[in-house]
Amino acid sequence: MCGIVGFFAKDSEQVEVGRTILGMLRALGCRGPDSAGVALFGTPDDGRFVVRVKLGDGGDLESRARQIAGRLEKLQGCSHFSTTASYARFLVSGETDLNGLTSAIESLDKDFEVVSIGHRLEIVKQTGSPDNLEKTYCVSHFKGTHGLGHTRLSTESRVDLSHSQPFWSHGFPDLAIVHNGHITNYHQLRRRYEQRGVRFYTENDSEVVAIYLAEQLSKGSTSLEDALERMLRDLDGSYSCLVATERQLGLVKDPFALKPLVMTETDAFVAVATEEIAIRAALPGSYSVREAQVKEVRVWQR
Amino acid sequence: MAEITCGNRMTREINAEIRRAIAAGEREIVVNDPGARHNLGVAVLEPVRIRFAGSVGYYCAGLIDGPRIEIDESAGWGLAESMMSGEVVVHGSAGNGAAAAMRGGTVVIHGDAAARLGVSMKGGTVLVAGNCGYMAGFMGQKGRLVVCGDAGDAFADSLYETMCFVGGGIQGLGTDAVVEEPSQEDTAWLDATLAEYLPGTAQRGRDFKKVVAGRKLWNFDKREWKVWQEAL
Repeated sequence: MCGIVGFFAKDSEQVEVGRTILGMLRALGCRGPDSAGVALFGTPDDGRFVVRVKLGDGGDLESRARQIAGRLEKLQGCSHFSTTASYARFLVSGETDLNGLTSAIESLDKDFEVVSIGHRLEIVKQTGSPDNLEKTYCVSHFKGTHGLGHTRLSTESRVDLSHSQPFWSHGFPDLAIVHNGHITNYHQLRRRYEQRGVRFYTENDSEVVAIYLAEQLSKGSTSLEDALERMLRDLDGSYSCLVATERQLGLVKDPFALKPLVMTETDAFVAVATEEIAIRAALPGSYSVREAQVKEVRVWQR
Repeated sequence: MAEITCGNRMTREINAEIRRAIAAGEREIVVNDPGARHNLGVAVLEPVRIRFAGSVGYYCAGLIDGPRIEIDESAGWGLAESMMSGEVVVHGSAGNGAAAAMRGGTVVIHGDAAARLGVSMKGGTVLVAGNCGYMAGFMGQKGRLVVCGDAGDAFADSLYETMCFVGGGIQGLGTDAVVEEPSQEDTAWLDATLAEYLPGTAQRGRDFKKVVAGRKLWNFDKREWKVWQEAL
């Protein structure tokens, strides 16, 4: 099962994207009771990176966050940080090597995990329902342009925060994915990536989608459309996937149309979800919804 | 006419209310605000008319025998699955597996159908005004499947005796699917069916291609090993 949702405002910079994604996710709560998560894209800041770090469970989280902030200040200047529940959020200045930044943070404590880095991307996820996610992090207050959401029914890997979705593509700013399905050549792909030194954070097969797309997009000349078309060739199994970058929302459906995915597009927005019930619950008004066809790839850009 | 509003109620309660209305002798029922809920209007066995004023979720109008069910917007997976008789009309699009294993009656989809339309159908008619997706008609045993627009890949794969008609292009034929000229009887039936269900269409029976089984998969013959290797 699992439920995935995506929302994309076409012109406005300041819509209630958190509220919309949460509304859609709540309607799909029964498809994935194990965990819930969102990847939201806020209004562009001043070129600083937003770094979100999982601090681990229990203990003095504030002092752990301060430890990271100290390290970041030495590296390149950390102007601001805040903590909420298991996460710390830092604003980091300047151009930077994201892999270096990630390992500088993660080497401080084995519990630390960088969950997302981007100019606009913020990922929040945890075990439990969308309602709990809202209770802990008030995601409905988040304003921005677009976002993804996921409710998870785990079939093959552990249920914890790290194994929850959305996944950020480590090292690639502002790239996040959600996936419903199984990648059946996951082990083969993982072996191939690990031989090249790519680190996997989880045993969740969906993580390979994020790694694959980051690899494709780092080629520079590859567009998101091309990357998703190539994914149809290189990734086996069942998948409906949504991917978001700083300015884009994309979708892909596997070559056997094994997993559901419906979408609607109006003058103002694009909404995509595993089931139409999610779109109808969160977005009033008159629009028509259709199921994505087999091997369909779509990308919306602002 | 009975009007039922879904509000925040569960599917079970809404279906129970539909049944109560039928038992009370209502022959026209309108269900407002269905909100794409699953399992609405399943196993209705009386010749009533039910209109869902909105979208429905999975398995709507499954296992029905006799009613006319109309859906103002779109339908999710498994629409009218295994229906016995009656009519199901969708004004929007339908998800995967619409009219799967149907035995009789008519399903009309005004928009597009997604993957696996009319798979393993055993009778009745499916009529799609728009396009249909991947693997439509797979293993169809009887009945007729009509697509006015384009058909997707692997169309009419491994057919038995379902007759398929396509008004537009076919992205790819399935294993053992064969295109042939429609007979006069076929075009007359198409004309009558289009006039009844899509009266506004400019298409005529003669505009359609007919796709049937090549019958190579009906009996195993080792001289046709190549065909079997390629069959799914």
